[in-house]
Amino acid sequence: MQDLAGHAIDAAVAAGAGYADSRVVQRRAQLVATKNGEVDSVSDSETEGIGVRVLVDGAWGFAGDPRLTEEGARDAALRAVAFARASASRAHTRVELAPVPPASGDYSSPMERDPVEVPLEEKIALCLRAEEGMRRAEVKITEATVRAMGEQRVFRSSEGASVTQRFVECGGGIDALAVSGDGRVQNRSYPSAHGGSSAQAGWEFVESLGLDREAPRVGEEAAALLTAPACPSGITTIVVDAEQMVLQVHESVGHPTELDRVYGTEAAYAGTSFLKAGDLGSLRYGSEHMNITADPTTALGLGTFGWDDEGSPARRQPVVEGGVLTGYLASRETSALIGRDLGGSMRADNWSRMPLVRMTNLHLEPGAGSLDDLLADVDDGLYLSTNKSWSIDDKRLNFQFGTQVAWEIKKGKLGKMLRDPTYMGVTPKFWGRLDAVAGPQEWTMFGLTNCGKGQPGQHAHVSHGTSPARFRDVQVGVRS
Amino acid sequence: MSRALELAERAVRAVEGDEADVSVHVESSGFARYAASAVHQPTLIRDETVTLRVVRDGRVGCATTNRTDDDGLAAAAGHAAEAADSSPVDPSFAGLQEPAPVPEVGGYDKATAALTPEDQAEAAAEAIAGAPDFGLYGYYTSGVTEVAVASTAGLAVSQAMTDVSVLALAASDNASGYAEATSWRASDLDPAAVAREAAEKAARTKSAGQIEPQTFRAVLEPYAISELLFYFAFTSLNALALLEGRSYLSGRLGEKLFDERFTLRDDGLDAETYPKAFDLEGVPKQPVLIVEDGVARDVVWDRRTAKQAGDGHVSTGHALAPPAQAFGPIPFNLAMSGGTASSVDELAELVDDGIYVTRLHYLGVVDPREGIITGMTRDGTFRVEGGKVTTPVVNLRFTTSFPALVAGLLGLTEETTLVNRSDFYDERYPFGTLVPAVATDSFTVVGTGSGPGL
Repeated sequence: MQDLAGHAIDAAVAAGAGYADSRVVQRRAQLVATKNGEVDSVSDSETEGIGVRVLVDGAWGFAGDPRLTEEGARDAALRAVAFARASASRAHTRVELAPVPPASGDYSSPMERDPVEVPLEEKIALCLRAEEGMRRAEVKITEATVRAMGEQRVFRSSEGASVTQRFVECGGGIDALAVSGDGRVQNRSYPSAHGGSSAQAGWEFVESLGLDREAPRVGEEAAALLTAPACPSGITTIVVDAEQMVLQVHESVGHPTELDRVYGTEAAYAGTSFLKAGDLGSLRYGSEHMNITADPTTALGLGTFGWDDEGSPARRQPVVEGGVLTGYLASRETSALIGRDLGGSMRADNWSRMPLVRMTNLHLEPGAGSLDDLLADVDDGLYLSTNKSWSIDDKRLNFQFGTQVAWEIKKGKLGKMLRDPTYMGVTPKFWGRLDAVAGPQEWTMFGLTNCGKGQPGQHAHVSHGTSPARFRDVQVGVRS
Repeated sequence: MSRALELAERAVRAVEGDEADVSVHVESSGFARYAASAVHQPTLIRDETVTLRVVRDGRVGCATTNRTDDDGLAAAAGHAAEAADSSPVDPSFAGLQEPAPVPEVGGYDKATAALTPEDQAEAAAEAIAGAPDFGLYGYYTSGVTEVAVASTAGLAVSQAMTDVSVLALAASDNASGYAEATSWRASDLDPAAVAREAAEKAARTKSAGQIEPQTFRAVLEPYAISELLFYFAFTSLNALALLEGRSYLSGRLGEKLFDERFTLRDDGLDAETYPKAFDLEGVPKQPVLIVEDGVARDVVWDRRTAKQAGDGHVSTGHALAPPAQAFGPIPFNLAMSGGTASSVDELAELVDDGIYVTRLHYLGVVDPREGIITGMTRDGTFRVEGGKVTTPVVNLRFTTSFPALVAGLLGLTEETTLVNRSDFYDERYPFGTLVPAVATDSFTVVGTGSGPGL
């Protein structure tokens, strides 16, 4: 694979590329899904290919080819150069890259038991067992999924970088959908909605989730939501659980701090950012309790690597410190634009896509105390759990999120369950109302596999670690 | 024989001694993505994806590969067989599709298929030149997609499709306007004209004002109604959602739920959409009348949901490829009937006092059972006053009921527009919705956001 990657670099440079890098990717993934006690799907997928990215006269070109042969590597290189040349003739600016020492070495995900090699029978049995635990009369649909992935990714560049990385991921989740006699629908999920949670780890991670252990609670809560009162509307204090905080961090901190969005290259699709390059070091993002860190070295993180997809080494970087913006997620190109060495967040979802600035592992650093301590200081409020819906504007300012469930908080204690909770806010105002983050004992990391960005579209696998957090004076109960 | 069908038949032969079907995607595409009026992320993709479904004594397993040599196909067949062997009997599996004639459809244009990377870059440059007073953001893309389905039952069908889209966001710090166009014929598109439409819209959005949230009467351009319709369709016009009680139409088929001017069909044979001859398990496409004169009539079906219903339903040809069939059948050729209005200005007259919405952003389904969708407006939101489109307003947060929106139709344009709905994730599979612009008395705004612009 290293030879093929090198062959592509040689071909691109010979054709006129001023810079070239190539990624050879071989991936195998499995998905097991069961539903209502039956196997819904058992699938095994493989993909492989080479992607070549070039700069010709300061303009980018990229081409992907599935053939892992010298011919495939050369064709990809030549096509990338041709596309770059066609674009360069009309470009009015030249792309510059911040310097980075040529990367060299290997990285492998730590694991005890290869999740791809775990027998399918074992995966199916786990899903069916977890489903069984969710069954109730009111629960009409039970679902369980587990996934596993192994990938080898080779990177070379015309600057001399040469890296081989082996990634292993797995994860799982369960969902219960309850339907009332008059057609009302409610659902609960564990460990998070939208496919569960994944980690860069062996099968021991899936076992640690305790899907079957949590199943009875998930089923009971889905059924109970059918008769729960609706979340009231108003301005109140909310305590947000770690799983929903993952989405809050992802959407209202992760995406707006992607420096390519700040410079506008995502404007037509995902949008831009309310942040400007000059805000670095001065913009107040939130209260003093807000500390956000990008860390592609976090154990178990889906965004953990040795080097990103342009050869920048993994390193922990602050993004928000004490409520002040102190970092961005960046590439070599955007680092050069802002004049700061912030690179290390360039990632491509496969061999057939060009790397983009993406989140790696972006965490809300823990504060102090327990969840109970957070609740204790709420006279009247809501505790919100597990994402259900989400939407945020193109500058990542105005958001509306819904959760699967809420519990009222009365005089510091959890009270009755409420259905259909939603809350909305404007990013810096909302984070400015953060008055407590629970401590390390409540800090949990979740791995998401559905972060979309780019045209053509790309999915990123990212992780976020958070503790429950408390926000004052938040609009809740938004309905049409 | 097409490359896709050749691959499908080779993959079927790689599965020895089992029942199996195979779906194949072959893609060759170019994407000239631009930002700030320069091509910035140009991407060329070639790929071939083979999905095998093997059935052994009622047990089903799937495997996907893009290794299309004999070893790669044999390995995938082995993985699918292993998956089947590991699974219990699947009582919901509806069996393989029997060979059946598929309709002749359009959707392939030689000239579009012949576009080169240089042509794509040139088209992007034409778009950029069409908006000289703004930065232009978006893309010009064209591609050729071949799909084929073959099986041990003797099924062997294939189709080649072309698609081309141009998307234009003309923007400055305090102004932005949007336009797009799509077709399976490149000659239908004028990239510069699309960019001009975006720029003319952008020029009208400067100095956007605030507005008090409320339920508005509104004009929605095709770009906006298309996105709302597709989110509603994904969650409600899908037989699996219907059977599971998650659909807005669950228990409501046959009822008059919407304005009588709302008629909706899905027709894969309609050459004004992206025509499709068969679905991804090889079932010929059937036109489905979903809403007729405001009365909910049906949803779209695949073989699995038809069997699950157990009441005589048959597949209408709307299956995804396994294992994505877990999402249920999807209507890829939605067409909403037009009305009598000659222009959006006439729709504004019907609204009289309200808002005008060009485009939406980042939709989320808040309550699928009730069809409630949230999102933001962007890149061209205006007040409508005295029946005229007047001043720009900031982006608006809406949380609105789609059923209420189409129950409260005030009018529709006679002209309908195909709006691309693919974001080009994973394998390329062109689809869109054919929609008019609409006027409604029910579009609920719950908050305000930032102004237009970057």
